[in-house]
Amino acid sequence: MSSPAADPRPPGAVRSRVPRIAEAAVERARLTVVPRAQAVRAARLPFVVLISVLMLGGVVGLLMFNTSMQQTSFTTTTLEGRAATLLAREQELTAELEELRDPQRLATAARAQGMRTPVAPAFLLPDGTVRGEAVPTPEEDGERITAKAPPLPGILAPPPPPPPAEDRTGDRDRTRSGDTGAGNRDRERRDDRKTRNDQNRR
Amino acid sequence: MRRTPQQRPRGSTRGSPQVRLRIGFVLIAMVLSVFGARLVQLQGIDPNSYAPMALAEGLREVVLPAERGDILDRNGEPLATSVEGSMIIADPALTAEDAPELAKLLANRLGVDYFKVLERLRAEGSRFEYVARQVPAARAETVVDVARERGFDGLTVRRDPVRTYPGGDVAANLVGFLGTPDPEEGDQPLAGLELAFDAQLSGTDGSARYQVGAGNRLPLADSTKVDAVDGADLTTTIDRDLQWYTQRVLRQTVEDSRADSGFAVVLDSRTGDLLAVADHPTFDANAPAEAPKGDRISRAMTDVYEPGSVQKVLTLGALIDAGKVTPRTRITVPPVLNRQDSPIGDWFDHGTIRLTLAGVLAKSSNIGTVLAADQFADGELRDYLTRFGLGRRTGIGVLGESPGILPSGSLWTSQTEDRIAFGQALSVNAVQMAAAVNTIANGGVRVDPSLIEGSATMNDGSVVGTEQARTERVLSERAARQTAAMMERVVDPEAGVAPGAAVPGYRVAGKTGTAQAVGEECACYDGSFDVSFAGFAPADDPRFTVYVVVKNPGNGGGGGSVAGPAFAKLMSFTLRRYGVPPTGAEPSKLPVEW
Repeated sequence: MSSPAADPRPPGAVRSRVPRIAEAAVERARLTVVPRAQAVRAARLPFVVLISVLMLGGVVGLLMFNTSMQQTSFTTTTLEGRAATLLAREQELTAELEELRDPQRLATAARAQGMRTPVAPAFLLPDGTVRGEAVPTPEEDGERITAKAPPLPGILAPPPPPPPAEDRTGDRDRTRSGDTGAGNRDRERRDDRKTRNDQNRR
Repeated sequence: MRRTPQQRPRGSTRGSPQVRLRIGFVLIAMVLSVFGARLVQLQGIDPNSYAPMALAEGLREVVLPAERGDILDRNGEPLATSVEGSMIIADPALTAEDAPELAKLLANRLGVDYFKVLERLRAEGSRFEYVARQVPAARAETVVDVARERGFDGLTVRRDPVRTYPGGDVAANLVGFLGTPDPEEGDQPLAGLELAFDAQLSGTDGSARYQVGAGNRLPLADSTKVDAVDGADLTTTIDRDLQWYTQRVLRQTVEDSRADSGFAVVLDSRTGDLLAVADHPTFDANAPAEAPKGDRISRAMTDVYEPGSVQKVLTLGALIDAGKVTPRTRITVPPVLNRQDSPIGDWFDHGTIRLTLAGVLAKSSNIGTVLAADQFADGELRDYLTRFGLGRRTGIGVLGESPGILPSGSLWTSQTEDRIAFGQALSVNAVQMAAAVNTIANGGVRVDPSLIEGSATMNDGSVVGTEQARTERVLSERAARQTAAMMERVVDPEAGVAPGAAVPGYRVAGKTGTAQAVGEECACYDGSFDVSFAGFAPADDPRFTVYVVVKNPGNGGGGGSVAGPAFAKLMSFTLRRYGVPPTGAEPSKLPVEW
């Protein structure tokens, strides 16, 4: 930093003639007594307190954290149990609702109130005209929505009608009635009868 | 060894301290070396056997069960759904003592059989007995809690999912059912869509491992979790309410005609969606074990039969499309037609009558059909029938579907062709035939029938569903319209044979069928008949195709009198349900005679 040329020479320097070799080093090497340092020892108490507080805080914090996590775990277990119970309950109720929405139950309830399936749909248009044929629905129910009762065991059943032997013969004269369809005529009963040749046998 | 001599001086003096110290050191060294050896054994030789044992203490491993997907109808109504359920298990070692009281409680609360439960609660030498299975979870918990409160020990609850079918028998033959779940292997699909789409429905179970202390999860301990992948829902094209109605009408028809069985199919003409596929006899999917095994399949898909006169619709439609005839083509029908091997007759006695082609269909004349079909070139009819979809599976996703038989090659002789023209000597399944008739309803374009909405993958990897449905033109639009007009004459009270199939106010096109059936025992025509009716409405703008088949009616009825009225009910209900008004056009007046 100090260059010899720029350095102001101390006035009246006695050793001006002394060659200025290593003047800076000489200056530096000049020994002086170190002034006795003031006894500025930091107060020990605050530090100890600080560390203690930190440690204590850490330990207590960790403990509380752990405790709260345990607590959360307890809560989780309880809530999971409740969720499972509620889910089961919900599903049970949904199933109950589905049972109530079952078409069979609805149809039975509707019939109990006197409702019937109409014979043919008819549409009432906004302008008051009716589209389709309005056919009165018969008093008697068109559909039987419950299965027919199984036949009574032999001992309870009335004597059976004469066996319809001609039914199974494949004979052309199947003229028995008892069809479900209304308005059928004799010829329908043997609708589409096929060839009677024996060659069709497999 | 050294101790014995050292003990002798003990009585007089305690001996020199050095000696005692040395002995003490030796003893300590011996003990420590035992410890050391044990340490080397634990840490060095078999460290792996103890670490897992330590870990296993308090480690809990649970399966996170995947929820099975629902099977839904087209409106999202469940046909099959899963409910969380539980099994109640007893440990007889703990329950035997108060067995009568506990059994009484369980019988009252769960509706289980008192004596059976009592026996199980007292079973000797057993520590695991089922008390009840597939109980709704909420009820199982309550019962076990009540038992615990009253001081009964030894009951535990485990997961046991319940599959319920809210409709009971509605679509049961299609949907199928699950067997009692196996605690190890889970669901046991046994039939129907449940089985065919099990891979999609069942999903993948997950698992979780964590450590517990006092019943609670340890928050900072190791834990891993693999989430369960729930099964995907399967949406069908079935309309639940319509399916229900179809099944009821079919049951009534089958019962009243004292028939063996029957099926009914309702198709959306434009899309090919199967709105209802009914089978009778059927079963309650919630209690499948109560029904005979043969009733738990879908007969409409697995049973093949000869379609009979319904087939004439396809034959005559193809003839018109080929340009060989028109609905007004005049045909002279003799009383009997003698062919190479056998005479062919009609179902009604007549002399020589003069029918138009429309009349042949309306009166369902076999002779007229065979005469008209003579104009087919070789192989032409078979080609048409193949394109109508006969002889191959519809592939709608039902297991065990039978493709039916369409004779080929050397089996297709001119005699066979004669019989095939009016619906014998070939066999079909109900959905196949409904789709074939629907081709005419859909303006000559055959659309693949579908049971699955969208797209779904079966267990065997094939993808089915409405998205996969293809369309193919079989007849020209004009030929299809003319065939429909001829079919309208079938339900005409004057001209046709099936006035019972008419829906008041609507133009209905249809065709009866009465076919000789092959008996199971003799494998020949045994005199039994299958009667059927296929048709669509409104005839001039078809929206729905309905096909009803009744097998072996015991009352001697035919297609027009047995299946016709059932058809009319189903068609009327479907038209009303979907709000399809009559078109208001005049019905076909094609002449039937000349």
